[in-house]
This record gives sequence, C-alpha cells and structure tokens, in this order.
Amino acid sequence: MTADESSAEVEVPLTTKPLSSLDLLNAKLYTWSFWKPVMWAVISIVLSLIVSAVIMLLSGYDPLLAYRTLFYGMIIQPDYALYFATPLILTGLSVALAFKCGLFNIGAEGQVYMGSMAAAIVGYAVALPIVIHPLTCLAIGAIAGGLWGFVPGLLKAYRGAHEVVTTMMLSYTAILFTQWLATYPLREPGQVQLTPQLPAILPSAAIPNVVGNYLHWGIALAIVSVFVVAFILNRTVLGYEMRAVGFNRDAAEYAGIDPRRNMALALGLSGALAGLAGAGEILGNYGRFIDHWSPGIGFDGITVAVLGRNHPWGTLLAAIFFGALRSGGTFMNAVAHVPIEMVGVIQGLIVLFVAAPRVNDWLAKSGFGYAIWVKNEPKIAVPNLAALVFGVISSVLALGYCTMKGLGGMFIGLYFLVAIVGAVSFGMTLSKYRRAPFIHVVLCMLWLLTGAVDSLYLGGVSFRTAAVMSIAGFMIAVALFWVRSKKIKEGRCQP
Amino acid sequence: MQVATRMAESSVSLDTTSRNAVELIGICKTFPGGVHANKNITLRIREGEVHGLLGENGAGKTTLMNILYGLLTKDAGRIIIKGEEVELQSPQDAIVRGVGMVHQHFKLIPPLTVAENVVLGLEPILVSTKMESHLGGWSVKSVGVLSQILPVDLSAAEKRIVAIAEENGMNIDPKSKVMDLSVGQQQRVEVIKTLYRAADILILDEPTSVLTPQEVDELFVTLSKFKEQGKTIVLITHKLREPMILCDRISVLRDGELVGTVNREDTSPEQLARMMVGRSVSFTVEKPPKEPGSKVLSVTDLVVYNAQGLVAVKGVSFDVHEGEILGIAGVEGNGQTELVEGIVGLRKPKNGQVLVNGKDLTGKSPRKVRNAGVSHIPEDRHKKGLVLPFTIQENLVLGRHADVPFATGPRRMLLNLQESRRVSKDLVQTYSIKVSDVSSSAQTLSGGNQQKVVVARELAAQPKLLIAAQPTRGLDVGATEFIHQVLVGMRNAGLGVLLVSAELDEIVNLSDRIAVMFGGKIVAIRKPSDTTVEELGLLMAGHEVAGGSDER
Amino acid sequence: MMQAIDPNLLLLGWLIRSTLEMSTPLVLAALGGMFSEKSGIVNIGLEGMMLMGAFTAAAVSWYTGNPWLGLLGGIASGGLLAVVHAVACVTFKGNQIVSGTGVILFASGFTTVMLKVVWNAQGASDPVTKIPDVYINPIKDVPILGTAFGQMSPIVYLMFVMVALSYYVLYRTPFGLRVRASGEDPSTLDTAGVNVDHVRFVAVVISGCLAGFGGSYLSISFLGFFGKLMTGGQGFIALAALIFGNWTPIGCLLAGVFFGFLNGFQNTIQILNVPELQLYLNFVKMLPYVLVVVALAGIRKSIPPKAVGTAYEKEAKA
Repeated sequence: MTADESSAEVEVPLTTKPLSSLDLLNAKLYTWSFWKPVMWAVISIVLSLIVSAVIMLLSGYDPLLAYRTLFYGMIIQPDYALYFATPLILTGLSVALAFKCGLFNIGAEGQVYMGSMAAAIVGYAVALPIVIHPLTCLAIGAIAGGLWGFVPGLLKAYRGAHEVVTTMMLSYTAILFTQWLATYPLREPGQVQLTPQLPAILPSAAIPNVVGNYLHWGIALAIVSVFVVAFILNRTVLGYEMRAVGFNRDAAEYAGIDPRRNMALALGLSGALAGLAGAGEILGNYGRFIDHWSPGIGFDGITVAVLGRNHPWGTLLAAIFFGALRSGGTFMNAVAHVPIEMVGVIQGLIVLFVAAPRVNDWLAKSGFGYAIWVKNEPKIAVPNLAALVFGVISSVLALGYCTMKGLGGMFIGLYFLVAIVGAVSFGMTLSKYRRAPFIHVVLCMLWLLTGAVDSLYLGGVSFRTAAVMSIAGFMIAVALFWVRSKKIKEGRCQP
Repeated sequence: MQVATRMAESSVSLDTTSRNAVELIGICKTFPGGVHANKNITLRIREGEVHGLLGENGAGKTTLMNILYGLLTKDAGRIIIKGEEVELQSPQDAIVRGVGMVHQHFKLIPPLTVAENVVLGLEPILVSTKMESHLGGWSVKSVGVLSQILPVDLSAAEKRIVAIAEENGMNIDPKSKVMDLSVGQQQRVEVIKTLYRAADILILDEPTSVLTPQEVDELFVTLSKFKEQGKTIVLITHKLREPMILCDRISVLRDGELVGTVNREDTSPEQLARMMVGRSVSFTVEKPPKEPGSKVLSVTDLVVYNAQGLVAVKGVSFDVHEGEILGIAGVEGNGQTELVEGIVGLRKPKNGQVLVNGKDLTGKSPRKVRNAGVSHIPEDRHKKGLVLPFTIQENLVLGRHADVPFATGPRRMLLNLQESRRVSKDLVQTYSIKVSDVSSSAQTLSGGNQQKVVVARELAAQPKLLIAAQPTRGLDVGATEFIHQVLVGMRNAGLGVLLVSAELDEIVNLSDRIAVMFGGKIVAIRKPSDTTVEELGLLMAGHEVAGGSDER
Repeated sequence: MMQAIDPNLLLLGWLIRSTLEMSTPLVLAALGGMFSEKSGIVNIGLEGMMLMGAFTAAAVSWYTGNPWLGLLGGIASGGLLAVVHAVACVTFKGNQIVSGTGVILFASGFTTVMLKVVWNAQGASDPVTKIPDVYINPIKDVPILGTAFGQMSPIVYLMFVMVALSYYVLYRTPFGLRVRASGEDPSTLDTAGVNVDHVRFVAVVISGCLAGFGGSYLSISFLGFFGKLMTGGQGFIALAALIFGNWTPIGCLLAGVFFGFLNGFQNTIQILNVPELQLYLNFVKMLPYVLVVVALAGIRKSIPPKAVGTAYEKEAKA
C-alpha cells in the first residue's frame, strides 16, 4: 500500500477554518496521485510520437516536416479541431462513465449508429417547431443509444455476460441494421447515389454552425455533457453507487448497494451519451443518415477515455487533443503529403503506451536515473518532467512557425536558448524550495503561450509582440535561476 | 482407533544420534507491514519421525514451512536439508531435495485430470537417472524448452500414479477430472503430487481441516504407511487430537516463537494447550458489571454452507443480550466466517433462524439486516469494509449514503456533500482518526486508522446489535486498545455485541460470556470467571473437556 | 457421357467451396484467439493482427514474387504485433482490452499508410502473386465434390491441419498443459515452478501468428491483392466463433465453419440476385453476432478459462 507522500500520517490539528478551494487545489498539485496520470498521458504521447517518427523515416517521409505541419495545423484552425472533437467528447464520456462502474463499453460505435438513426428519422419524418425539433431529435437519439447500451448492461448484470463481447457484437449488429434501414425501408426515394442514405432532415431540425463551415453548436452540448457527467458522478447518489460498484463490488454489495441495477444503468447511460454523439453529428454535420457515416467516433471514444484516464475533464482535454490531432492531420496531409492515416498510427501507439503504465516503474528498475528520480521525488520531478516536455514541444512548435513563415534564424536561436536555459535550470533543480514546482509549471505555460502567440502572428499579432513575449519568458527563467542561486548563497534553501 | 494405536506402537525410538532430515536454524521472517511471523526459530526434525507443528493462527507455522518449501524467502537464518546447507530460491530447489508440501488450500486445477495436475511442471518426456536413489529406478527430469512440444507420455504418468497410489493404500483414477473428485480424494492427489516427485520429507498443512472423520482415518492409514517407508512427516495443525495420536515429537509455536519441543509420551493435551495459548494477559479494559437486558440476537440451529458447498456451520444456537458482549473464540476456519455471513445476510443459511429483537431476518439481504439495526465490522476491511479509492468522507457514509441527511433533493437523488463532510469531520475527531483532510483517499490511512473508519461508520448508524469479526487483526497496540474501548463503551451503553475473534486474549478480556467454536459447532459456552485460558485452549483445539455448560 | 449439370448441385458444390473459403480466416484467427485466451490473456486485437498479416504477406509476395515467402512474412508480422500486445499485457501487466484496442488502431492506420508507401494506392494494391491453388483433377466432374474441391487454395486444407495441430499442442504437450493451467489458476502453475509470464507470452505470440496466417490467406490466396482494411471485421467474427465454440479447437472449427457458411450464403444470395432474398442479406450477416450474444445470455453454458482477463501478479513472495 503506497502512502501518498503529502497526506500521509501528518499530525495536523483539525482547525475549524475550512480549507479554501485554492489551498485544496494547491495541495492536489503536490500529490503524486494527481500528477501520475497526467504525466503518464504526456509520456505516452511523446513516446508514440517518437515511434511514429521512426515509422515515417522508414517509409520515406520526413518526420520533422510532418510534425511541424501537424502541430501547426493543430493550432491554426481551432474551430476545425473543435469540430472533430465534438463527437469525441461525448463518446469519450460514454466509455469513461461505463468504466467508472467497472465496465468496458467498447460497443459505443453501435450505440452511436442507433442514436444517429433515431435522430435522423425524427429529423425528417416529424415536423416540429424550430428549437424543439433538434432537442427532440437529440433526446430520441440518446434514448435509442441508451437502450442499445442497456441490453448488454442487463445481460452483464443478470447473466454475467461479459460486456466487452456483448457490446462489440451489438455494435456490428447496429451497423448492419442501420445499413439495412438505409438501403431498403427508409431509403430516400429516387436517390441514385452509391451509398444508401435517408432523406435529409428538415431545416428546423438542423443544428446551426458556430463559426465557419464546420464547428456546430453540438460542441456546446458536448461541453455541457461534461459538466453533467461530472455532476452525476460526484454529486448524485447514483454516481456514488456506480463508482462504489466499480471500485469494490463486494464492499458496495455489503453496504446495501445493488450492483446489478447500477451496472445496467451505467451501460444504459453510457449508451445514451454515445447515442447523443451520433445524433449531434447527424443534426449538425451530415444533415442526414448516411450508411457507414461514422469515421469510427465510437471506437475513438475508447482512445479518448483511456488518455483522459476516465475522468470527465481529462476526457474533455483528451478529446480536444485528438480533435486537434485530426485537424492537424489534414494539414499535414495537404502540405507534407503524409497520409492522414498516420494520425491513426499515432493514436494507436498512444493507446498502446497508455495501456501499460508500469513502464516507468520498469525504467526505474532498469536504472534510468531520471525514472528513479521521478519515482522517489515526484513532487519535484514530475513538474520538472512536464516542464521539460512542454518546453521541448513549444520549441518544436516555434520551429514550425518559424520555418513556415520563413523567419530568421535569430528567432529560432532565441527559442533554443530559452529551452536550453530552462532545461538546464530545471535539471539542476533538486531544490526544496516550496514554490518551485508551481513556478516551473507557470514557466512552461509561458513558453507554450509564446509558441501559440507566434502562430497567432499569422492572424495579425505583430512580430514585435511575439518577440517581446518570448524574451519575457527567457528573462523570467534567468531571474528564477538567479533568485535561487542567491537563496542558496544565503543558506535559505538547500542546493 | 486401531490405526492410531498401531502407529503409536511403531514409533521410532528417539535415538538422539539419528540423523536430522531438516534443520532450521535461527529463521526470521517479517512481512511488509511489520508482522513478525518467525522470530529466530530453531527447529530440528529427525529423519523418519512424524513431527507435529502446533499453534494458533498467526503463530507462524505455515510461514515457517513455506520457507522450508521455498515458497517464501527467509530474512535470516540457515536451512539444512539432509546435512546439506541450502539457499532456496523456489519450490523447485526444495523439491529436488525431496521436500514435498500438501497445502491447506489445494493447488489443483479443477478442469484438468489427475494425471495432468500431477505432472504439471514436470511432464514426463525425458527420463534420466538423476535421482535414482529415491525411488529405485523411477526418475524424472524437468522438460527443456524445445521438448515442450513433444507429446506428453500421459499413459506412463498414469501408470506411475496408480503404482504410487497402490503402494500407499490410496485409490485413485488418474484419468478423472479433479473437479469431479471429493475433497478427500483431492487431497490424495496432492499427496501423490509430492510422491511423484520422490519426496521423502512431507509437510502437511492442516490436512484434516477439510476431511470427514472417515477420510481422516484413511489419511492416518496413509501416513502410517509413509512412516513404515521411513519418510519424514511434518504435520501442521491447531488441533490437539492429531499430534497426540500421530506424532513422535511436537513443537509448539506461539506468536512467531518456538515455545518448545516435547516428546509425545512426555506430554499431555493440557500442557500443549498451555504452551499454545500461553499465560499472557496483555491488558484489561475497565468493565463494570452489567445486567444483561433483553435478547437482541437469537440464533437457533443455524446451518450454513460455505462457498465450496460444504457444511461450515452445523447447527449453532446462541443468544446475545443488550448490554453484553458475547465472544466467539476459536481458530479460524471452524465456521466463524460463515456464521457471521449467515447472520448479516451475505450468505443464505440452509436451515435455522436468526432473530433480531424478535424480527425474523433469516436469509434477508444485507440492506434489510442493516436497517433492522445491525451493524457489522467485517473481518476483511479491504475486501468488504472499505472502498479504498474512495475518500474518507465517502467511506464514512457508505451504506447510509442514500438516506437523509446524506441524500437530498428530489427523490433523494443528490448527495448532500456538506452534511457528509460535517459528519465526517465530527467522526474523525471523535474517533481520533489521524488524517489531514477527509477528502484524502482511504488508501493513505494506516491499517489502524482504516479500521477506525469502518468502526466509526458502523457505529454512527446507531445500531442495536454490533457484530465485530476479527476487529483488531493487523492492528498495532494503540489501535487495538482503542477498538477495545469502543466495544466496551458500546456494551456499557446498552448495545449487544457479538465479538468473533481468533485472539483468545481479546475474547477473555472483553467478553461477558464466551462461546467456543470448533468444527462448525459451539462446543461450550462459559463465563470468563468459570474457566481458564488453558481450558479454552483445549476446547478451541477440539479436545473434549468434562463438564460443559448448557447455558446459551 | 456428358451429364447435364444440375444447377442446384452446382450451387451446392459452390456453396461448400465458398463456405470453406470463408471459414478459413475465421477458424485460423479463432484458433489464435483460443491460445491467447486459454493462457489467460484477452486478445481482442485479432483484427489488427490479421490485417498486418494480410498486408505483409501481400507486400513480401509482391517484392519477392514468392507467395510462400509472403505467407511466412504474414505469419511473422502477426506474431510481431502480438509481441507488442504481450509486452504491454504480460510484461507490464497492462490493461488487456485497452492494449487490444491500440493494436487494432495501430494496425489499421499503419497498413493504410503502407498501402500508399508501397503501391502508391488509396484503396487497393496491385495484384500480387497468389499462392497457387490445388487442383484435384480426378474429381473435377463429380457432381458436387467436383465443384467443391476441384480447385481449392491449399491454405484451406492447412486450416484443418492447424485445427488438429492446435488440439495436439493444447491437450497433448507439456506446453499446452501449461497454457491451460495458466489460464485457469496461474498461482498453481507458479508454485509448480513454471514461469507463468513466459508461457503467456509465447501463447500470445502464437495467437498473433495464427491470426496473421488467417489474414495472409485473404490477401495472397483468396483475393490476390491487399485492400484497405480488407479484414472488414472478420477478426471480431473470429472472436465470436471462439466464444461460440466454447474455447476449444473443435469448437473454433465448427463455429468458424458455421459463420463461414453464413458468409458464403450471403455471397450466394448476391450471386443468385433474387431481390426478395437480397432484402434480408444484412440479417444473415448479423447472425454470427446475435448468436454470440444469445449464447452469452445463458441459453447455453459458456465456460471461459477461469483466470482470463486478469494479469498475474507474482505476489511479492508473502
């Protein structure tokens, strides 16, 4: 049983003053249990990028160019990234919610199809007033997906049928079933296209776009769902019971919780979220049900949930990340001519790495000094690692922008300098200075900001502003280093 | 008991110049978590003798033998097998030197056949003359990597198994699947496993705990045959009957230490019991005399089957009154677990009745039992008591989370986190649970504090009956004392308390009445003032004592 | 004497052939899944391993002109991908479902990218050298058998051999015994002195090789080219066959043949071009999946290996 470093047996008198939420957040930032999944996610991404680079090299593509365009594309069109992310948020929540109850819903794809079909049908078959129509479609879509998830839930709860298998089987069944519906009974009359499809939804049912040609208001629905799921999990009796069953079925049963009811409900809710994702895509994006319309959003939901460690907010971030990856991928495809499926390769590698969290322990055992340090002093080492990674990524980003825009070597040099100084100062920092991790994190955010700002340069921010920000970052790093060495001289903090 | 007398007559003369089969010198073993399982134990087992290893739970007998068998690594000490000093890295090292072990929980794979189970790991492909001296010609060699895909000569293995079985008076069909065999037959398969590997030092861990009386006699026959063949036998047990019948010498362990080794002829059950339980009375809790009130719990003729489908509780009856602590003493594995599960609703009794304050709760769900005013401190707090990843606050409301005041809102669907937090803080203070914030995970607590959380939670429900199963297991002295105080406090306040514990000291200190459980039955109920620790020890070990009480 | 060929007999013969051809990849992959699951490791990444096998077999065959080398390459690549899965699940005790998902994602993306790299194609590769079919000339004119077995890929026959071989290995060799033990009760196997991780690792690699074998059949024997995502879910049907066949080699064969029959039946309907039957084509396709769900719902007792799905942690000798 590993004791959490910060909240182990400390003789803290219980004061009556309630801990403020900032204190709690700060306390949380110091705990290994908070940073470990974050760090692991970041490491997985980095490792997967490295392996993908190798694959690209062997295939005759230039990985540096590919990554430059990829990262550039990720940042340059945020609305495109969010457009991709919208359904992923919902399917990610779907898988994450089921997992909280100890269940694997890998048949989210089927639930997506059922939900989308139901919404599409209500979309064109029934005429309803303007705001009510899409909401009704969404609701029906959620219910359809929910039922499709509820069935395997019941089978698992009352029959012990493994939900991994049943959800997957039903997923294929749903795809075939909706295909049949689109090909025969519900096919658009007079349609001559190759791919079977339903009639278009009525205009009253469509979800309008937020901006541009892609991003629609489904994103609002997705973000609201994150709140809702987080609320359900943390603040309702149902969520409490589901989590209890997911963590320790015996203890939950002993406490009077009915695990079967909760498991069935969990899969039902999970299906509803996936159905919602499908419905949203039809109403906001495709405008009608098309056979095999989904590029695998249900399956990707698994990836998102895994990277987000099944946490609602983590899922949101992971979904945005993967959405950005996809939008960056199209740019990479257009400019560097790397096939867009490379994004799939990166995704797959991320999942493979995330699946095995013990690698760090193994690295530590094999004597990788850094890994040992991470294990022994996570408070310092983890933010350090995060900072390093951030630093490197933002440097690459900067490289990308610079070469994209043909800016001078000076700018590149500046970035490298910042990165190196920071890395050195962090590498030397084994300080017991209390605020050090916090500052490290802030510094890295600053770096990242600099890189982002530079890309916005294309949108109109002047070169001067961008330069000023990066110089500021550089100076802060130096200042910190100077302050720290002064403190060591004064003996106020240990080297 | 003709068999028994025959064995006694054939006991080898204890010539001190006979060789030692095994010498364990200064063995120390401490488990992570701080439990000192073996404290500098020095034990010598002579060749050809039947040596009994006697002690209560946690005395360290199984640990010591696991070290001898290579399953555990010792922290300090020396092991000498047949005159050769060895460092055992795995069971294979021990097996090669002729040590075989029959575990308490069989290591068998039910869907496979007897032959397949016996040869697992040692499948007969190549035959070499490595260990000729052991079984005169039959030898085996472990398979190499490449030869693993050569066909297994199961028929040769089966023939050998039958030969071994017949030699030792056992009757087994090597082609039958293990899951189709009775428990006694399964044990025989375990024995054959050791013989197949040419073991001549046999360790049997609590062999009779799962056998019917008839099967026990058959086992005794087998063991006597082994003795005739000159094999050395170590018998781990907590029952007095077996060593007194079978063993030549008996070593008693207590709390990880070797109390002493005696010859069977020179000792008596009373002496053994005294050695087992000792005279230590570690501490007493202030317990003002109290008149017990009305019956809170009434158990009548309860019969409960265990997970394997065998009878664990064979018709048990007792009552618990308000304001009294009834302690059930006994070595673990005699049905206490199933008894408690049968009462609180985790296991449906086959027969009998459970009344709480007159209400019939036999076989009802845990929730109903809980609502009737019964609280339960489970014997495994990790598996059944706490949801470790949950916060302390969440664990403190577990079970009452759906009731007012912890749930509010429409149809009580929302959690009232503020109220939970407030109550949690109060409980943490009242029970002195060392924690910096109730929002930290329960995993960060020490064992003692975790148990306090369970206790706090269960008592906060204001029960009328508290069932505490092994409540201080794995806890340090401070936490143990605290729990004891809590239990006595509840009893003083008028609660009925059913205390189930394998720690005799605890039972003697706390209980107003003591029931001893052995072999699924309550063999005696006594008041602490009417009995002695030695008598209780005898009863716990299955020894019949004259003059039982009929008191319920 | 020339007989008038009865179209029904022709159809029946053709149906038999089609069934066998359709079942081959399924049975091979199902056998692979069986080895893995019998040892206690869930392998839902069969689809990915099949795809890798299909691609590699086609690529090697294309480069070397020798389809048998292609077959070897396909088997090896399936095994290599399985090594990744094994490392994640066995060595690092990772989550087996997640790892399997990753395998599929990776393989899907990778093979599609490779399609472009090797053949500069979007959908399908150039035709590659196929494994030559086996012709049994004597029976060519026999009514049903002639159509069925007159010309057949040798891999179909190999499939039966693999079933027998799997049975032999699993039930008659020490290795198979250890595999079964590790899936039922790894701690007992550990006590018997066998390294559980080694056994499981090898079992998972075998499963990858078999899946790769099945995938190779698709590209260098059945179709003769590699198409984007050409396995089309057959890895999952193989999984269904494994479960439906109750985790035994014969079960895999029978279930695989049954599902293969359903596939063949679909094709027949399409060829016959009967509009009424075409209508219900999708329902025939659904049948394997629905049957597995029904089977798991307890209509028939389903007995997976007891310790499947959980990583075996050697308890720190305490």
